[in-house]
Amino acid sequence: MNGTLPDNGVSRRGFFQLTLGWLAASFAAVATAVATVRFLEPNVVFEPGQRFKAGKPDDYPDGSITFLEAERVFLVRRGNSFRCVSAVCTHLGCTVNRAGRGYHCPCHGSAFNEEGSVESGPAPRGLAWFLVTLSKDNRLLIDKAQSVNSDKYLIV
Amino acid sequence: MPKRIWLWFAHTRVGRSVFRVGLPQSNLERSQAMVSSFLLHVQPAKVSRHALRASYTLGLGLISLYLFLILTVTGVLLMFYYVPSTEQAYGRMKDLQYVVSAGLVVRNMHRWAAHLMVLSVALHMCRVFYTGAYKRPREFNWVLGVGLFLTTLGLSFTGYLLPWDQLAFWAITVGTSIAGYAPLIGPKVQFLLLGGNVVGQEALTRFYALHVIVLPAIAGLMIAVHLWRVRKDGGLSRPDGTEDTVQSIALGQLPTNKSYGLMELARGTTPQVGKDPDDEVFSWPHLIFRELLLFLLVVAVVLFLAVFWNAPLEEVANAVHPPNPAKAPWYFLGLQELVSYSAFWGGVVVPSLLVTALLLLPYMDRRVQGVGRWFARERTIANVIFSVCLVVAVALTIIGTAFRGPNWSWVVPWRPPPAITEGR
Amino acid sequence: MHGTSVGKFYAWFTALGLLVGVLVGLGYYRDEYRPWKDYQRRFIREEIRRASTPDQRLLAQSTPVQVRQILLPELNRVDRCTTCHLAVEDPSYGGYPQPLAYHPLHDQHPFDKFGCTVCHRGQGRATNIEDAHGHVPHWDEPMLPQKYIQASCGQCHEASDNPAAPELARGSELFETVGCRGCHKLAGVGGNIGPELDRVGARRSPDWLRQHFITPAAVTPDSGMPPQKFTDTDIDAIVLFMLSQTGAELPGFYASMKVIPSASEGRRLFQQKGCLGCHSMGGQGGKVGPALDDVGLRRTPEWMMQHFRDPQTVSPGSVMPRFGFTEAEARALTDFLVHLRDQKVGLGILGLMGPVDRGRGIFSKYGCAGCHGPEGKGGVPNANAKTAQQVPALTYVADGYTKAELKGIIFKGQREILPLDPHRPAPPLYMPAWGSTIKDAEADDLVAYLFSLKPKGEDLGF
Repeated sequence: MNGTLPDNGVSRRGFFQLTLGWLAASFAAVATAVATVRFLEPNVVFEPGQRFKAGKPDDYPDGSITFLEAERVFLVRRGNSFRCVSAVCTHLGCTVNRAGRGYHCPCHGSAFNEEGSVESGPAPRGLAWFLVTLSKDNRLLIDKAQSVNSDKYLIV
Repeated sequence: MPKRIWLWFAHTRVGRSVFRVGLPQSNLERSQAMVSSFLLHVQPAKVSRHALRASYTLGLGLISLYLFLILTVTGVLLMFYYVPSTEQAYGRMKDLQYVVSAGLVVRNMHRWAAHLMVLSVALHMCRVFYTGAYKRPREFNWVLGVGLFLTTLGLSFTGYLLPWDQLAFWAITVGTSIAGYAPLIGPKVQFLLLGGNVVGQEALTRFYALHVIVLPAIAGLMIAVHLWRVRKDGGLSRPDGTEDTVQSIALGQLPTNKSYGLMELARGTTPQVGKDPDDEVFSWPHLIFRELLLFLLVVAVVLFLAVFWNAPLEEVANAVHPPNPAKAPWYFLGLQELVSYSAFWGGVVVPSLLVTALLLLPYMDRRVQGVGRWFARERTIANVIFSVCLVVAVALTIIGTAFRGPNWSWVVPWRPPPAITEGR
Repeated sequence: MHGTSVGKFYAWFTALGLLVGVLVGLGYYRDEYRPWKDYQRRFIREEIRRASTPDQRLLAQSTPVQVRQILLPELNRVDRCTTCHLAVEDPSYGGYPQPLAYHPLHDQHPFDKFGCTVCHRGQGRATNIEDAHGHVPHWDEPMLPQKYIQASCGQCHEASDNPAAPELARGSELFETVGCRGCHKLAGVGGNIGPELDRVGARRSPDWLRQHFITPAAVTPDSGMPPQKFTDTDIDAIVLFMLSQTGAELPGFYASMKVIPSASEGRRLFQQKGCLGCHSMGGQGGKVGPALDDVGLRRTPEWMMQHFRDPQTVSPGSVMPRFGFTEAEARALTDFLVHLRDQKVGLGILGLMGPVDRGRGIFSKYGCAGCHGPEGKGGVPNANAKTAQQVPALTYVADGYTKAELKGIIFKGQREILPLDPHRPAPPLYMPAWGSTIKDAEADDLVAYLFSLKPKGEDLGF
């Protein structure tokens, strides 16, 4: 080791240059890593949206329970009231079928009643109910991001 | 300060388990750093000063390797969004541009690095030729190099189709048609490549598979062997007289009156006696630091191009409306120019002769003089022949790229082409 | 020390490290900065300003700044227009400057099913103004100028009688009456002197089409097409109709819209279902049911709809059976009957017309007027043709040919037109062979019509 030069024979200026270079390169590396993560995180998704329109109220006859395939929900109309229940089993995510007045999951046999509550089977919770509102152009607007109680209706 | 942290970390239990040597402080540790690290062990502990001279190698082999690495990384990133479907591919290109964070930059980097790699590999070949570096014992590494050059062209060509725009579609249509001119096997090769008779979904699927796995795997393997051979053939070529004195000890020709270690069976690694130690320096840090600089330079150039210039993307592929002229990728335009004179001679005979000549070159040119210097006087004839071929190839490529307009007629690049009157 | 020999590169290392750092930073910044984010922030500020309750304010404040898109998988389109045009569905933004203006809603065309570009064109996936509006290199579908917007209706809907798209209907009518089909094929019907027009709306820009109608040779130098004497509004209409011919084949849900109930669809059904078996129109047809000439005055559309669904419910005791019409068919038939007062629809029933009237329709259907002039009066230039450099008029064909000879010429055509000057290029227009297109019975009617062209009473001179 040379006493007048710090660190392994590198001059003071050389040390400064090295440090600055490494700092810049590290910044570039970190920024690249961040950019890569941002690149991999999709800004748009190509799946049915959480909020979607389900047509006009009159498209659904009184007393009907309609399965909306793409969105995996049942739209329930009774009289002038509308509500929307998830068709995704709370157990492990299978799509439930209608069974009698309630719903039945074909994967592990969970059974739900008309109100979506668990009757039997391994499901930990009842089926989720989603907020139904009326859009500005008078379409049913369902928001799967907003869960509500099963007794919350949209009255048209 | 960073160095202190580094030193501290390198000497902790974890640090030592990862880096084994830590930051080398002595010559012994410098050697150990190279030998004991997976990433560095492909390089020698000491390296000849001649090999470090930028004016000798121009760093072209390493540049090609770095470009290949950049292409691999950006290529894998692109795979996260790309769908090899005629319905979706083009839209995915648009999505990269418009909604994926940094998507356009990544695509630009991939495209420009690909062009640069074709260029750097070609220049690397020229360097090796003009310095006579392909001669014994490096003949086979030259052959591998020719293979790598062709693989690079294949990678670039198969990637060209993937955006599924007009440029891609017609370049591949034209390019594969050139292949179709080969006698006997031509139409078969074309059919095999396209998975049909025209460029369509099948061709896209095939080109995708070739581009993302088959050819990269081949290239990766060949690069590994190519680098390994550089070591085993005695490092980079050097001027006459400074080469290793032990040219080769072929297996089975070992003197019987002496015992040899197993490591000495390998060619060129026998103890090097009587060599001037001043000729060599420790790879760490002399070689490693230069390699680091070159890496930064390559990244900087690719980034610079990618930030300021966008990769081309034309209209979505349309089999009914070919552009006029429909051109192959630029590195095949010399070939396309030749084909415009004679499909058979230009498309088949000349390229096959060229490739054959390149492959056979180190076995035909057996004189060992003139190695390790640019344009050695002893190699004038070879250099002239090579230069003529090179100039013709470059000239044809430039003509095909810039001087050919609609209907493959002459145009002057700095004047706008005449308006195309359409048939309909 | 070895350090000294590497040390000379330290400055390089610093410079290159900084360069890479700057470039990465620059690339990152350029990628992060997107104008649509400004539009969204402006919109959110506006929403917050308008919020009247704390709830609304909270909702507005929590609006994420993100790309918004309408997925149209069936059309293989993704429309991101709403990333900037954020208030298209909110009537309270009526009259706002773009990009925040409200888009008057079409009840039948909800945004989430149709998106934007299927009507307006442009580049749906793009998220900056120039690229999205599509007036950029390498994009074939720039936004359609507002005055031609009705062209998009024609992609799905019948052009001819579409009350919601009067300019498109006008363009379609011009196309059929001026005689474009004499030279051009559209949907498989027409001559082959000029190019097919099935995809012309996707290939050509509005400006090109306009120029082409005024002076064809200006945009296609070797075109033999005679310049068209259109008024300015007529040119707009015919350009609009041309733009509607994109050749786009719309799938599934959208294709079903092609047969929108319209009067002409009703007329087709009326003939096909054999209504004239029992009912009469214009004095022809069956006597079992009532005459239908003035049914549009006697009955309301609602009554007719119900009658088509089930006759018994509105006229008990009627012998008319339940035909099981679909709702769309019933609407089409009703439209037809309601519009009967409109002569165009009523007279279009071939069964009710004589051969001359039918022939007039055929003369128009195949675009004969395009070359031979309206009612065969001639006057269309045909450079270097011996017949006064014009396509011959047909007014006096009855004097020169027998009916059989005339039919022969129509079927076989006349490829060689005698030139005025044999050294100049051959006349561009010629008589195509119509044998494979015009049916025999149609040709009889056509010839009857052509014979009727001769002015009455001129025979007396001979």
